[in-house]
Amino acid sequence: MIGRVLGTDDATPLQFWVAVAEGGVLQLDDVVALDRVLPTGEQISIYGIVNQVRARHEGATFDSDVFLIADGVLPAEVAEAALVQVTRVMPEVFIPPLPGTPVRIAEDDERDKALDFDSVTRRLPAGLSRENEPIFLDLDFVDGTKGAHVNISGISGVATKTSYATFLLFSLFNSGVLGKEAANTKGLIFNVKGEDLLFLDSPNAHLDAEQASRYQHLNLDPAPFGSVGIVAPPRRGDSAATPAVGSRTTGVSPFFWTLDTFCRENLLPFLFADAEDERQQYTIVVQSVTAQLAAAVKNESSPDGAVRIEGTTIRTFGHLVDFIERKLIPDDPDDKPDQRWTGRAVSGSSINAFVRRLASSNRHVAHLIRADIDNAPDYALNLDRNQLTVVDIHQLHDRAKRFVVGVVLRQAFDAKEASGVAKPLQFIVLDELNKYAPRDSSSPIKEILLDVAERGRSLGIILIGAQQTASEVERRIVANSAIRVVGRLDTAEAGRDQYGFLPGVQRQRATILKPGSMYLSQPRLPIPLLIEFPFPAWATRSAEAQRPSSGPDDPFEGL
Amino acid sequence: MQFAVEAWDPDYGTGGDVDALDASTDVVDASVELEVGKWQPITPKTGPATGVIYFVDGVRRIDARIWVTDNGRVLPGSCATVAAGAVACTPTEAFVSEVQVQRAVFTPPAESASSIQTDVGEFVHVPINTGSPEDLYLGIHETMTDLETRTVPEAGPDDLIIFDGPLRGRSVARSVGLIKTQHVQYLEIEEQQVVSQLEAGDRSPMFTIGAGGFARWSWYLRLPGPRTHGWAGIVRCEMATGKAQPIDQLDAAAELADLVSASLPRFASEPHKENRAPQNLYPIKGLEHALRRRLGDQRLVQRALRRAAD
Repeated sequence: MIGRVLGTDDATPLQFWVAVAEGGVLQLDDVVALDRVLPTGEQISIYGIVNQVRARHEGATFDSDVFLIADGVLPAEVAEAALVQVTRVMPEVFIPPLPGTPVRIAEDDERDKALDFDSVTRRLPAGLSRENEPIFLDLDFVDGTKGAHVNISGISGVATKTSYATFLLFSLFNSGVLGKEAANTKGLIFNVKGEDLLFLDSPNAHLDAEQASRYQHLNLDPAPFGSVGIVAPPRRGDSAATPAVGSRTTGVSPFFWTLDTFCRENLLPFLFADAEDERQQYTIVVQSVTAQLAAAVKNESSPDGAVRIEGTTIRTFGHLVDFIERKLIPDDPDDKPDQRWTGRAVSGSSINAFVRRLASSNRHVAHLIRADIDNAPDYALNLDRNQLTVVDIHQLHDRAKRFVVGVVLRQAFDAKEASGVAKPLQFIVLDELNKYAPRDSSSPIKEILLDVAERGRSLGIILIGAQQTASEVERRIVANSAIRVVGRLDTAEAGRDQYGFLPGVQRQRATILKPGSMYLSQPRLPIPLLIEFPFPAWATRSAEAQRPSSGPDDPFEGL
Repeated sequence: MQFAVEAWDPDYGTGGDVDALDASTDVVDASVELEVGKWQPITPKTGPATGVIYFVDGVRRIDARIWVTDNGRVLPGSCATVAAGAVACTPTEAFVSEVQVQRAVFTPPAESASSIQTDVGEFVHVPINTGSPEDLYLGIHETMTDLETRTVPEAGPDDLIIFDGPLRGRSVARSVGLIKTQHVQYLEIEEQQVVSQLEAGDRSPMFTIGAGGFARWSWYLRLPGPRTHGWAGIVRCEMATGKAQPIDQLDAAAELADLVSASLPRFASEPHKENRAPQNLYPIKGLEHALRRRLGDQRLVQRALRRAAD
């Protein structure tokens, strides 16, 4: 017995206070259990998590009495109490625990019951408690059976959002929870900042034995990701299209789209972040041009990725931009522009606005849309080649980033839709959701993300999205995530109603969470759990990437 | 007219104290330590006690008035709860070391009078002389003093025991009674002036009260606090004579008086925290608080009595 339910505060079926017995200690996040026997003889077990602890002097009236008490002048007792939030009642009879009822720490099987792990058949290891006890997610709420999608919030710089997302992927792929499907399940990660995701296939040299042992608590092997494909955009201006990466020099393949794909798959709107904003007149032009480009390549096959429009062969994006420009703005000012390309009743200024935006994008995406290289179609992104594909976009301009993210998502979505089956699953990790699906505007990428959030569950596309501030992300995307994860939050952000699933104390604590700790909210439990996840077993920067050592350190040893 | 406002809450300034009932005939000898006429304040020659200082006190509460029907007569009675306990103060902590609670029913002599069993425990029958308030008061007080005696801790050679109130015959080694309210004047006017000249922490010379086996050593002590008038912050201490403190061993008595006088100022209370500051010492205030809590809720006790009466 660690304490008793106290009777000076109300005990309710959902929360109650426990007076801590002498010599005992209850700390935040401890899991406790108690029983109550009904008059019918039926026994009810109530489980909960310690959410707040307090200590006070009993017998003291004034604040300054503490000095008298400490000096041994005024007698008083120290009373310690813990607020318990109920996680589960078995069987479900919602009655308050009676004051005086002994409370015990829930361990082993009882802890599983308290956290509702015992009724979960497919347990996805999601992290550890501070005592290194495993914490699980119900896979049913991740893979689309009952729910899908994960949303992670937290300030940047604490480096937990992507780390946790990669940890979740690692757990999905390697814990065995997916069964035979694990091998075919695919992951896609966008590397949006730094180069921290470019070494997922290298062991982490900084992983010490203690952290490695934490993987064992989760029944995982501390190892890097097995099958990783890393793709990066080509260097700008490099005719050989070598990938533009800094610290990693090998094992990175370049990717880009051919002009043929660009036209055939209607990718033009992804160059315009606000293309679907109804207020923008030039969106009509975008739609018309997109349709014309698609029509032009419809009946032509293009083995080299180039397009032939009206007899002109176009191999570079710049060339395509010129071509479109000529269609929209005739050389002779007296000529009218081709209405098939501009759309009907479009003013000159709208056309100019479109041309201006299109021309300015050339600089940022020309190296991503091209057909000036042999075997250009081979450089298309293939998400099926490796289990985990890392798309490095961190060096791209914002506009190009949006284009790549939008197009990749679109292609993944279309491929899934075409296949018609949800399994094997495709996981997509995307940070900075606030940039791609902002709350207050509309864009093709946001539409795709909304599609993923709302229909991905049935199609087998699972979004693991992250952002600094959930309040700036489209509500429906966050709302559709069955699993919410919160790392350290900014104080003002923590007060927003997007974090309504965090009770008051947890919100407060979210502002002081240390790296590697997160709150995990899942539909099975009414209150979020504090989890820690082990230090990555894969390198997160080049310094951590373990190079295989060849021979002894000192070649002259023994001489 | 020169006057000062009493620091104590007016509620505490009235009400009978047993001192008033038995002190009138006492013989006082003021020349045991210093000759009468040569009285002067004494600054204790020792420091505070190094051992544990115990404070013993009790509280009482009348829970209900009852009427006992006995052979056709109806007699007034009372049910009361008393609690007594001790606080142990070491240099670093103070804690309630002992608590006893007793519930009792007080009636004038009656054939059918007996203890009462209730849901909150037994009210033990205690006969009193008549149903008058004075007899009832005495009865409750005796019960409480009995209980206090039972809670007296075993004092070591360096320890002290301070009883709240007069000794009332209690005689334990190294124990002192502490009287907060001065209802009786034991000294002549000249000695009284010496008392009013005491500085905080000083004591008056000792004098004896009573004679024979009931004789007590006594002295006045000024506690630290606002000095609004000459007798502000004055308490009287008394110490039993007899086996524990033979009447002829003046030096030993004076030494103990010095030790007590040096030890008590630390516990003096302050006016904004205590209605009877500084005389009601902090440990006693804390003990009374703890004891009152142990009396139980009065309405619950009344309910239990009503149920038992049905």
